[in-house]
Amino acid sequence: MPASDADALESPLHHESTILLSLKSISKTYTTGDVSVPVLHHVDLNVYAGEFLVIVGPSGSGKSTLLNIVGGIDVPTEGDVYFHNQNISQFNEQELTQYRRKHVGFVFQFYNLVPTLTARENVIVAADISASPMSADEALELVGLGNRADHFPSQLSGGEQQRVAIARALVKNPELLLCDEPTGALDLSTGRMILEVLGNLNRELGKTVVIITHNSAIGHMAQRIVRIGSGTIAETNVNSQPIPASQVTW
Amino acid sequence: MKVLHRKLLRELLAAKGVLAAIISIIAVGIGCFIAMSSTYDNLEYSRENYYRLCHMADFSIELKKVPVGDLATLTEVPGVINILPRIVFQVTASLEGVEKPLSGQAISLPARENAPINGIVIKQGSYFTDQRQEEVIINDAFARAHQLRPGDHIQLILNNRLQDLLIVGTAISSEFVYLIGPGGLVPEPESYGVFYLKHSYAEDVFGFEGAANQILGLLAPEFQSPNRVREILNQLELNLDDYGVFSTTPLAQQSSHWFLKSEIDGLKVSATILPTIFLIVAALALNLLMSRMAEQQRTVVGTFKALGYSNQEMFLHFIQFGLLIGLAGGLFGILIGYSLAGGMTAQYRNFFEFPSLTNQLYPRVIILGLLISVFFSVLGTFRGVRSVVRLSPAEAMRPKPPLRAKRILLEKMQGFWNTLDFRWQLVLRDIFRNRTRTLGGILSATVGAMLLLVTFSMYDSAFALLNFQYDKLLLSDIDISFKDDHDYAAYFESQQITGVDYAEPLFQIGCTLKNGIHEKKVGITGILSDARLTIPRDTAGNRMEVPQTGILVTRKLADILQVQAGDSIELIPVSGDRAVRRVPVMKIIDSYLGLTVYADFQYLNRLMGEADSLSSVQLKTNPRPAVTRQIYRELKQVPAIQSVNSIRDQKDKLQEVLVDQMIVMIVVVIVFSSLIFFGSILNASLISLSERQQEIATLRVLGYTPSEVGSIFLRESFCVNLPGILLGLPAGYWASKGINIAYDTELFRMPFTIGTMSWVYTILLGILFTLISHWPVQKAIQNMDWLKALNVKE
Repeated sequence: MPASDADALESPLHHESTILLSLKSISKTYTTGDVSVPVLHHVDLNVYAGEFLVIVGPSGSGKSTLLNIVGGIDVPTEGDVYFHNQNISQFNEQELTQYRRKHVGFVFQFYNLVPTLTARENVIVAADISASPMSADEALELVGLGNRADHFPSQLSGGEQQRVAIARALVKNPELLLCDEPTGALDLSTGRMILEVLGNLNRELGKTVVIITHNSAIGHMAQRIVRIGSGTIAETNVNSQPIPASQVTW
Repeated sequence: MKVLHRKLLRELLAAKGVLAAIISIIAVGIGCFIAMSSTYDNLEYSRENYYRLCHMADFSIELKKVPVGDLATLTEVPGVINILPRIVFQVTASLEGVEKPLSGQAISLPARENAPINGIVIKQGSYFTDQRQEEVIINDAFARAHQLRPGDHIQLILNNRLQDLLIVGTAISSEFVYLIGPGGLVPEPESYGVFYLKHSYAEDVFGFEGAANQILGLLAPEFQSPNRVREILNQLELNLDDYGVFSTTPLAQQSSHWFLKSEIDGLKVSATILPTIFLIVAALALNLLMSRMAEQQRTVVGTFKALGYSNQEMFLHFIQFGLLIGLAGGLFGILIGYSLAGGMTAQYRNFFEFPSLTNQLYPRVIILGLLISVFFSVLGTFRGVRSVVRLSPAEAMRPKPPLRAKRILLEKMQGFWNTLDFRWQLVLRDIFRNRTRTLGGILSATVGAMLLLVTFSMYDSAFALLNFQYDKLLLSDIDISFKDDHDYAAYFESQQITGVDYAEPLFQIGCTLKNGIHEKKVGITGILSDARLTIPRDTAGNRMEVPQTGILVTRKLADILQVQAGDSIELIPVSGDRAVRRVPVMKIIDSYLGLTVYADFQYLNRLMGEADSLSSVQLKTNPRPAVTRQIYRELKQVPAIQSVNSIRDQKDKLQEVLVDQMIVMIVVVIVFSSLIFFGSILNASLISLSERQQEIATLRVLGYTPSEVGSIFLRESFCVNLPGILLGLPAGYWASKGINIAYDTELFRMPFTIGTMSWVYTILLGILFTLISHWPVQKAIQNMDWLKALNVKE
């Protein structure tokens, strides 16, 4: 795994970078009763190991669906998704569960913490099903919440809750961190703090981070920005000079 | 999974109100199961042990007199492994200080060792000694009722001679677990006893040297099916044809065994039906609760699945709710059940005489109870959560699509709908949109009301039986039966007794009635054509005239013999010439005890070749106690009397027993039924409250008071429970009818009746329970943080 490869980190599009995930002509249509709503049309996308990728698009553009398909919590109607050359779109439910368990960490806009569990316990929930997890306290330290481990979600601020959610995604040691509007419910300074944590995880631990957001300002800290609109990829830009999270503003 | 366990416990604690409601329904269901099953086992094990201990006879043959020496061939009949001839007579007894003439059975026993069949268990004192012939062992219940101890004396009239006997011991026997005198329904140990005499003494005093009038027998285990027993008894009857066989009684028809076995079998049925009803209601309630809980945790489910938890792991997590609730309900149920079983078993000790009848804990019953509880809880949980757990993680994390806000059917009836105020519209929409919850609520109320009505109906039926039997059919106060048939002189003498207002003779015969292949051994009672103390009736209670010729047959017997009014059947007397007579069945009558047959007194006499013969006299007496005592004193002087039955005492005793039993049962059922109402209403209302927090908050913002909001919930509760209660009425009617049919036996039947007040009480109690159940709901509305509810994220 070239996650710690400095070249790959700096320029994910170099031809020697490892492709972690590859989406081939992905389409998704939701059908409810007699109504069919196409959400994605023949999307092709590679995600490179160790890159910091931001997918930007307005609401309804299909970006969340794309992330869900990448994360194995939804399946495409057409097309293939390769993870380390394994076609996960052919996986059955059990295999998808194993895929999520071993390789993917999710961060959601509304944190999705279990209200009846403390911060540490929320992290342990994920550690429990992982083969080689880091310790829950270590994960909380990494997101700067070591001293709030015994608090319940209702006793934490939004930013703190989101950091618990990141620690929960992180504790399993996944290669891929998928973040769905991670700052969507937060104010600017708290949002920056979260982005900083994600940036650190990418830089220091070599995690591949994919963020989807409607906030194009976040794209400035990415190595690559994919713009999505009406279910197709509108453009892909390589950002040769990503800025630190502290300078991101909106 | 330890963290998930913690989540589980915290969520359980948070839902403690609703859970307590559900757990209590489960606990009651399991409690019923444990109580009835344990009591069943207590009785059944005691019965088996007792029968084994006493070598309970598999059959008995009653006959006029048979030389013991002629019985050797009986054991050659295949299947018969042992027989015991004994001497049995109905006798009267008198005790110092007891006015009422007492009666009972004198039974002979071997002088030195216990009987090899129907042996006795000594409770006090000893078996017979070698010191004297005039020794008696009396049954323990009779001894207790009269505070008799070994060393006391008792006078028995044996073969018309007053004998003073020394009581050497008191005893019980498996053949008299439930001891009732002729015509009785409940044990009356103060007036009817069993008196065991040395066989040699009985031979001597009854003039039965080397002879017996009853044969007990044991059968090999492989010959105990009803048909084989019947075949063997037919063969034995044939072998004993010369000795005047009165009757052959297989164990299944032995009176004590029949009562005991019916009770035990009834328990088994109740142990299945009653708990099932409760557990279905509990499973429904749990299903509602869990679907709500899973729905509330939709996002959590989605997140967990996104984290890599599988469907099975999620199911397992939620199923643990059911598991814990099932275990909690089961454990409480075991506690309730065990103490109830203690009470029921103690109650049975009042009726059934066992060497020991104690309440035991049966691991099998307890494990089964827990398994049933867990099964129903897990089932309810599984059905509640499966739709949410099966969602794909992406779908689960999306907010639940808004409720399909279709118009309900009533809304289409514009004219009607527009007349309703806004609150009624809210109520009706909620009821029709949550159909499963509504149906669950209706079902619970139906079950609750049904239980109440069935219980009240049993009370009504029991008292209708009493009234029919003692206010319409048998109007005498005291019945005297004689040892042998007497002529009219005995009747005239009875009329002369001071305090007797009126007397009527009865002529009773034993016979076999036969219609083709259908036959039955019964007694026929000959009554005067203008009888005033025994009045045959039809179902409606109308008097049926006794015809000049032919017989009146009770409906149950008519069914057994497959005869209708107008048919002619064969009558074969068990004593006398035993020649076949043909008699017409004139009418079908109703009676609730035994297989009654009536005929005209003169006609029956003529039929039997007698003239004015009578076997008993019924007396209508002055009710003053002093007069009754005087009558008793006079009757005690008449050696020809076999028994004196106080019909008034019999009725009082029966009433006392029934009232005692019924009151306990009614209280228990009211408590159980209230739990069903509370559990179901609390569960449904609290779930509805949690679902409609925003709606309530909006109403509060608009200026509605908590009681106005509460009234919406109360209306909803009534809209669900009132139809449920009303449906419970026909359900209760048919269930009562079913129970009534199930209790339709040869020994007794219950009149089927439900009094007006029973219907009224059922409805009123249902409404009362609904009102009381609303109280915690109202409190929850009062304490609700509605401001917070307004800010809830969808």
